[in-house]
Amino acid sequence: MKKARSIKKPGINIDMTPLVDVIMLLLTFFMLTATFKAADSEAIEVSLPKSVNTDSTRLPENDIMTLTLTNTGDIFLDVDNYNVRKDVFGNEFAIGLYHPDSTSQSEFLTTGKIGDKEFKREVIPMNKAQFEKYINDLRLNLINRTEGKQDFRIVVKGDKDTDFGVVEDLMKSLKETKNTRFALVTDLKSATLE
Amino acid sequence: MAGGGFDSAESSGSSRGKKKYHKGKKLGVRIDMTPMVDVIMLLLTFFMLTTTLATPQVMQINLPKGEETDKVKVDMGNVLFIRVSGAGNIYFSLGKSDGSEMLPERIPFENLRKTLESYFASNPNLLMLIKFDRKMKYNNMVDILDEINRAKIERKYSFLPMEEIDIQIVTAAGG
Repeated sequence: MKKARSIKKPGINIDMTPLVDVIMLLLTFFMLTATFKAADSEAIEVSLPKSVNTDSTRLPENDIMTLTLTNTGDIFLDVDNYNVRKDVFGNEFAIGLYHPDSTSQSEFLTTGKIGDKEFKREVIPMNKAQFEKYINDLRLNLINRTEGKQDFRIVVKGDKDTDFGVVEDLMKSLKETKNTRFALVTDLKSATLE
Repeated sequence: MAGGGFDSAESSGSSRGKKKYHKGKKLGVRIDMTPMVDVIMLLLTFFMLTTTLATPQVMQINLPKGEETDKVKVDMGNVLFIRVSGAGNIYFSLGKSDGSEMLPERIPFENLRKTLESYFASNPNLLMLIKFDRKMKYNNMVDILDEINRAKIERKYSFLPMEEIDIQIVTAAGG
């Protein structure tokens, strides 16, 4: 004991307390603000349009029904609750695919890829009637599951090069299923154009 | 620095004061913080690398709840048609009370907000009927809705499908 102390003493002692304080603060900050990439790594990547949008609201954290529109006109229907997916789609990793434009073929069904990326989840192709039924079923499932406490918020994630025709067909389907409130996901644009 | 202040306040005899201070420090428990700092550093790095800070924002859209067959009577004099061609060109035309409408006027996107504000300054009860061409890009739609949201006007708009006659009007005005 005595020996150890005499060795220790000649060394330089750095007081780490302020360092620990700062790191603790940083850690707390990052832990509280963290939203994990892993959570949507299974999502389809699209290049979002930008908007300034003064009354912007943030994307809700859970209970989201995501409608992803790729630039080739495919609509992917997905929810973030895997129990609901399992009940309605029959597979907890399945995702719905609806291609509203009858004059062209779905990119995914012809090439098996989205853009040039492989997609590993099971894809269920749907026609218009099935698509609208699935939107209703997914919502009903969550409402029943949580005894009316939770409901999906509909979020449209469109690629900026999607034809408006696809968006129009989607809005029509949403309107017919009485889903008149939905949100478009955009990236923030700084208000330079004055 | 703090030690110096402590010294002078404690006693007049500098050597005695120093000794006392030293002795007090030695008695205290010293915790080695290095392993803790290591762990915290690892955690910090983990959280810093896995976070996505820029959460995307959303733009709320509310479609009218009514059935397609429900007809709403609107005074045509209070209607502003906004037609957007497949190339993304914006055309405004005001309706007239007799059911016809004025010639379409092409509005550059940069002036869209100002033009809307001036239209609404002369008639605050305007209802915007927006007709987007199906070949137009989604990006244009978000841009235009964004400008409408930013304009200091009462936001009353609804989407109508672009029909053959609308396409003719737009093509006649320059496409």
